[in-house]
Amino acid sequence: MAGYLLRRVVRALSTLLGTTLILFLLVRVVPADPAVSIAGPKADPETLAAIRKDLGLDQPVAVQYARYLSQLARGDLGRSYVTGRRVADLIGQRLPATALLGLTSLAVGFLAGLATGMFTAARRGSAWDLAVLVVTLVGLSLPTFWVGNLLVYVFSHRLRLLPLQGYATWWHLVLPATTLGLAEFYFYARFVHTHVGDALGADYVRTARAKGVPSVRLYVRHALRNALIPIVTLLGLDIAGLMSGVVLTETVFNWPGLGRLAVQAVFSLDVPLMAGTVLFSAALVLVSNLVVDILYGVVDPRVQRG
Amino acid sequence: MLVLALVVIAAAAPLLTSYDPAAIVVQHYAGPQAPGPGHPLGTDTLGRDVWTRIAYGARTSLSVGALAMALSLVIGVTIGVVSGYFGGLVDATLMWVVDLVLTMPTLLLLIVLSAVLPPSLLTVPLVIGLVGWTTFARTVRGEVLSLRERDYVVAARALGASHARIMWRHLLPGVIPGVVVLAALGMSGAIGIDAGLSYLGLGVPHPTPSWGRMVSEFQTYFAVAPWLVVMPGVAISLGVIGFNLVGYGLTDILGTRRS
Repeated sequence: MAGYLLRRVVRALSTLLGTTLILFLLVRVVPADPAVSIAGPKADPETLAAIRKDLGLDQPVAVQYARYLSQLARGDLGRSYVTGRRVADLIGQRLPATALLGLTSLAVGFLAGLATGMFTAARRGSAWDLAVLVVTLVGLSLPTFWVGNLLVYVFSHRLRLLPLQGYATWWHLVLPATTLGLAEFYFYARFVHTHVGDALGADYVRTARAKGVPSVRLYVRHALRNALIPIVTLLGLDIAGLMSGVVLTETVFNWPGLGRLAVQAVFSLDVPLMAGTVLFSAALVLVSNLVVDILYGVVDPRVQRG
Repeated sequence: MLVLALVVIAAAAPLLTSYDPAAIVVQHYAGPQAPGPGHPLGTDTLGRDVWTRIAYGARTSLSVGALAMALSLVIGVTIGVVSGYFGGLVDATLMWVVDLVLTMPTLLLLIVLSAVLPPSLLTVPLVIGLVGWTTFARTVRGEVLSLRERDYVVAARALGASHARIMWRHLLPGVIPGVVVLAALGMSGAIGIDAGLSYLGLGVPHPTPSWGRMVSEFQTYFAVAPWLVVMPGVAISLGVIGFNLVGYGLTDILGTRRS
């Protein structure tokens, strides 16, 4: 077990390192002179030179990378070109909003998807089976930002039930969470439907049924248990997908989260902020993958040998 | 299901050429938005016919999707074949790179890349392609791993065929069915991602019609002219659904397992 853990952690760390390298290189390619971005276009050459020296831009690349890494190790993600504030602070400020949106959507979508999937899995070959497949296919093809707009139109404009956008009350959470939650729902419903459905067809289930095990218990203890592993794995891996979904949803609803922060950073070519947000999300994804891997190793010891 | 898919795709293709009459930016009246029919889908705030813009948008979406797909395919298949064939350190390294790309949430990575390169008709597919090759790589690698031990491959190696020859003439053809399916599904993904990027403002630049950008441009007019937002969205959805269906249909025909 310890060996497995170690290998996983080492792998995660090396991936993180690789990510920093890519970001570092990417950042250097951005067509914006950092000194000018900070000081403004009218600054005199001395100020620019001073800024560059301060940022260490006059050093060879390798040295700059080393400097970058040491800063990261201390949790310093640099300062925004535009506002001058610490990137780490900006991220910390926006994180709760994104976490709220992301987790709510995931919870709602997952639970609804799980329930629906389980319901239809038992009814393979019926109208429900077809319905689930069709609805999820269509649902997954709808662009999230469009769905968001539609929801706003129907519920905010026409029915005047919910607020348009922003981040003030709990009601404000409903529409964005529904938008993102729907996307999650289609995904999980489909997945659960297929996997639990497969599990239900397996021999051990038929045996149990032949033995006279009552239906409900059958579903929960036997079928679900075994399908649970891939499902839980998926949950962990979905974090990456959530981060992407969050970018669009937050933009539609003007939700002050990390997604919107990233977009704003790109538009203002605020390099440290851009790199910082991507790095942070990557780290999040890595951590959740690691957790999933560990859980997986615990639940299914066979994995540890691989 | 397959028939439906093919019909949808076939419908998208003729759109490309059939709407040459009104050039993309037809200035009809100087008047702002006009309701539904008269023009089949109405006009937008600049007096342009919505239907024409959507039709031309199809051309944009399809080409961006196709280019992105082609790039992903080439990169992914190459990496997958090399990785699966050589195994060992090469494999480990390449798969680590795959993990690397996968760790960064796609959209975030895309917007960063868009900042680095100026958005144009060429850079958008380039960027999407650079990020999307991982599925190809993984699937192809898996298939190569199993194909590698087949008799004809072993025989070729025994006869002294070079690595390159084996990969190109023997392994590649075996991998094609799976790749084709992925390509169709990938197209649907590419269209969706392109729409998202365009919505954020990082897609294809101005006069070229783009469905995603149409949605964001007319968001504010939703209350008065809902069709301006609804139509492009429907178009995007249909495009995505269409290719998904093609993908599934192909899976059934080719008998390969879906990844």
